[in-house]
Amino acid sequence: MTGREQSATANISASNIYKRMIEEIQDYAIILLDRDGIIRNWNIGAEKIKLYTEKEIIGKHFSIFYRAEDIEINLPQTLLNEAFTNGRASHEGWRKRKDGTAFWGNITITAIHDEDSTVIGYCKVTRDLTEKKIAEDQLRRSEERYHQMVAEVQDYAIILLSPAGIIENWNIGAQKIKGYTEAEIVGKHFEVFYTEEDRKIGLPGKLLKIARDKGRAAQEGWRVRKNGTKFWGAIVITALHNKDGAIVGYTKVTRDLSQKKIDEDKLAVYMAELEIQNSELEEFAYVASHDLQEPLRKIRTFSELIRENYDDKEFVIKYFDKLDTSAKRLSELVKSLLNYSRLSVDSKTAAWTYVNLNDVLKEVEEDLELLIADKKATIIGGMLPAVTGSHIQLGQLFSNIIGNSLKFSKTEPIIHISSRIVEKQEIPDVPKNLIAERYHLVEFKDNGIGFDDEYNRIIFSLFKRLHGKQEYSGTGIGLALCKKIVENHKGHISASSGHGHGAVFNVYLPFASE
Amino acid sequence: MIKCLIIDDDLDDQEIFLMCLKKVNTDINCLTMSNGVEAVALLMSNTDYIPDYVFIDVNMPKMNGIDCLKILKNMARLKYAKFFMYSTTAEGAAVTESKKLGADDFIVKPARTAELKEKLTTIFKIVSEIA
Repeated sequence: MTGREQSATANISASNIYKRMIEEIQDYAIILLDRDGIIRNWNIGAEKIKLYTEKEIIGKHFSIFYRAEDIEINLPQTLLNEAFTNGRASHEGWRKRKDGTAFWGNITITAIHDEDSTVIGYCKVTRDLTEKKIAEDQLRRSEERYHQMVAEVQDYAIILLSPAGIIENWNIGAQKIKGYTEAEIVGKHFEVFYTEEDRKIGLPGKLLKIARDKGRAAQEGWRVRKNGTKFWGAIVITALHNKDGAIVGYTKVTRDLSQKKIDEDKLAVYMAELEIQNSELEEFAYVASHDLQEPLRKIRTFSELIRENYDDKEFVIKYFDKLDTSAKRLSELVKSLLNYSRLSVDSKTAAWTYVNLNDVLKEVEEDLELLIADKKATIIGGMLPAVTGSHIQLGQLFSNIIGNSLKFSKTEPIIHISSRIVEKQEIPDVPKNLIAERYHLVEFKDNGIGFDDEYNRIIFSLFKRLHGKQEYSGTGIGLALCKKIVENHKGHISASSGHGHGAVFNVYLPFASE
Repeated sequence: MIKCLIIDDDLDDQEIFLMCLKKVNTDINCLTMSNGVEAVALLMSNTDYIPDYVFIDVNMPKMNGIDCLKILKNMARLKYAKFFMYSTTAEGAAVTESKKLGADDFIVKPARTAELKEKLTTIFKIVSEIA
C-alpha cells in the first residue's frame, strides 16, 4: 500500500467516525440538506426531536417541519436564501413534529461550499428549546401581569424611585392622586409632592434615610398635587436591595386619605361640640335643681310662715312682700333661662348676614343712652370690623358686655372698645372646636371693680354671681348669654381682670372679608 | 350658752334659720355673716370668739362655702366646733368635698320650717347627750 493509499484509508476512517459522531448526537437534530432543501441525511437527535425515522424522511423537503402559516410566508425558503447569501441563517420558532405536536426550535442553517465556493448544500442544526420557551413565556406573562396590575391600581400611587429619589415609574393611581401624567413626572425628584415647609425641613430626604436604614419608612401628612391643592397622604417607602444587599431604589406607595382625614377632623369638631352641649345640659340640670329651687323653696316657706302667724298682721304683710319678691325672682330666672335656651334655636334660624360692628356699637349706645348718662360713662370705640353673623345676637352681646361694665363700676365708667386681627394660635387656651384660622379680636376694657382672676371662667356660667344680690342686681345670666352668642358665631370669649383693676373681655369672631 | 355662727349670703334664709333656732333652743347666741370673707375676717380678728356650731351655705359669692370650710377647719381653736354645710340642693360633688374636709353633716334647706326645726333639735340633742 502506498503512503497515499494509507492516508486515504485514514481519511475515510476519520470521516466515518465524524459521520458516526453526528449520527449519534442526541440533543441536536443535525440534518444535511441539498441545495434545494431536500433532506439527505438524518441523525438520532433529529429522530428524537422530530420523531421521523431516517427511512421516512430522507428525500423529503425540510419544509415538512414548518407550520402552514410559516410556509405561507415562505419562511423555509427565506431562511435557505439567507444562508445561501450570508453563509448562515438563524431562527427561533414553533416547528412541527411528525405527530403534529409543536416544539420550539432554535435553528441554524449553514451553507456548505465546494472548492469553487459554490453552495452544494446546507447543514441544519436544530435544538429543542420548548421547555425553556414555556418557562420564559410564563415568567414574561407573570411579569407583564404584575406590571399591568401595578399600572392599573387606581387607589394607590405606586412609584419606583432611584436611590437618589428620582421617579422612575408611574401608575394610574399616582396620576389620579397626584395629577401628573407619566411623561410629566418620570425623571423628576419625588420631593415635588411635598409642601414647601416639609421640603424646608428636609422631610423627603429624612424619609429616604429611614427607609435606607430601617428598610421602611411610613408617614402621614399633607402632600401637594400638580394643581397645588393638598391631599392627606399615607405613605410607605420601602428600600429595594440587590443580591449583594446594596440599595437599588425604593418603592413608594401613597394612599389618599384626605376624605378620612376630613371625616376625622369633622368628628373631632363634632365631639368638641357635643362636649360643650353636654356641659350645657349639666348646667341646665343644675340650674333647674338649684337656682330655680331656691325661690320656690322660699315661696313655700313664706306661705307656711304666713299660715302659722295668720293673726300677726305686721308679720303677714312683711312675709307677703317677701313671698312676692321670691315669686318675681323665680319669674325673672325662668324668663332669662328661656332667653338663653332660645338663643340655640334662634341661631339655627337667624338671618346670617355681614354685620358691621360699628353699627352694632352705635345702636347699643343709643339703647343704653339713659344708663350711660346716669352713670356719666364714656365709651371710646375704635374702628371695628365687620363679621358674618346675626345682627340681633351681636347686639345682645355688645349690650350685655357694656351693660356689665356700666353695672360693676364704682367711679365714672370708661369703656375702651378696640379690635385687631389675630391668628388662631395666638388665642390663649384656645378651645378645640374653633375651626377658623384667623379671628377679629374685639376687646372691651373697663375701669370697673373687676373680679379676681381665678373666676375668669366661672363668670360665664349660668346664674353664677360673684357679687351678693344686695350689692348688684341681676340674675347672673348676662355673661352666659354672651358666651352662647359667641359660640353660635364659632368664636370664643374670655375675660381677665385683677380685683379692682377693671375687667377686659376678649371676643374672638371668625375673620370675614367682604 | 351655746354659740352658733351662720354664714349665708341670703338674708331671707338667715332670718328663717334664726327663727327656727329660737324655737328649738332659746339659750342660743347666734351670729350671722353674709359671706365667707366676712366670717373669716371676724374669726381672725376676734380671737376670743369660739363658736360651737358653724352653719355654712355652699353657694356664696366672693368665697364659696367649701373654701370657707377649708379655712375654718384649719383654725386650731375651732377644733371642737361642729360644722354643717347648708344648701338648697345636695349636689354630689359639694357633699363629697365637704365630708372629706371634715364637715359633720350636709343639710338641705327644707321648704317646711318644721323640718328644719326637727333637724336642729336632733343636732343639739346628740351634742348635749355627748356633753
